[in-house]
Amino acid sequence: MITRSAQFNPGVSTKQRKMFRRLLQLASLLVSAAGVVFVATAASAFSQKLATPQASPSTSIPHVKCVIGLENIKANTKGTLSMLPTGLEFATGKNKVDISTASIQDIFTGQESRQDVSGPAGTLAKAAIPYGGGRIVSLFSHNVEVLTVEYVDSNGGFHGTVFVLAAGKATTFKEQLVAQGAKVTTHVQPPPQGQKP
Amino acid sequence: MKPFTRAAFLSHLSIAVGCAALLMAASLLAQPSPSGKPGPTPQKAQKLTASAIQFERSDPPEDLLIPEDTRVATYENVILQLTKTKKFQHVYRSGDRTAADIPDLVILRLIPQGFKAGSQKQREVTTITGATSIKVKVQFSSRDGKILLEKVIEGKVRFYGENLRATYDLSKKVAAIVNDTF
Repeated sequence: MITRSAQFNPGVSTKQRKMFRRLLQLASLLVSAAGVVFVATAASAFSQKLATPQASPSTSIPHVKCVIGLENIKANTKGTLSMLPTGLEFATGKNKVDISTASIQDIFTGQESRQDVSGPAGTLAKAAIPYGGGRIVSLFSHNVEVLTVEYVDSNGGFHGTVFVLAAGKATTFKEQLVAQGAKVTTHVQPPPQGQKP
Repeated sequence: MKPFTRAAFLSHLSIAVGCAALLMAASLLAQPSPSGKPGPTPQKAQKLTASAIQFERSDPPEDLLIPEDTRVATYENVILQLTKTKKFQHVYRSGDRTAADIPDLVILRLIPQGFKAGSQKQREVTTITGATSIKVKVQFSSRDGKILLEKVIEGKVRFYGENLRATYDLSKKVAAIVNDTF
């Protein structure tokens, strides 16, 4: 029976082990360096993302409903309300209307609640639910804020427009407009609609 | 066929005579009145004419608190409905300086008289409560302050719709008055 015995050379194996260890150390250094670089870039990008809205909070809000009062914009149209250095801008897909800060005579904010299911389709859907189940659906509502802006045109004609925004946004817009120099008078606020005085 | 008894015949006869009397009375009442006497029908009001109208804002009394969004929505809805009537060449807004040159300008004012804040949720859940209503006195006057017409109207939202729909209802009633008056 022929047997092969492996020759053991202790000098060669230690060299190989040292080389392997060095390679491992280099690789770990490279990986850790890449990790540090990656973490640093990610952190800076994340901080930029966080810092952007903090620098200009709620500059532009989508899905704002213009209830009435803007030229060439139909009643109850949804669009984007933006805060410009010169005033307010409401933009839909086709039209864009500006209200300059200098023309603003007064700004009012108020709180209201809106039904979660509303409109003609919602009303039909509620009516279709048997055993008066539509009334249960009517119980679900959400709070909104109403921003009313009164302004004048170039001839001195009075205009007023009513926007419906998510809760808390109207006050921010009012504060920004006042900071720009919009006129605001002190007024007695009636209780929110639906609540008895 | 069973013949009528005397009592049944009498009862049928009395019913028939009563119905005939009622019909005769109704036909007499429905006849137009003689030409010499004034009839109960109201005379047709004389129509006003004006080439332009200016809608002036009016502040509510101190004890009447109306939300500003309701006031603004009323104002803008009335401007829209006035334009839709096509009774005037121009509809001027409150404070418009260009209206000063119009000789036969009519001024419209809506003087707030009452406001009841309802609730959309309450309306939709209970059906019979939670109505929003706004009551105003509609006043048409000439430039020199002469009152041409005054009427009290009320805009309401009773069942379905947002509270501001009451202002749309009110503006439609203002437009109906304008159509009847001009």
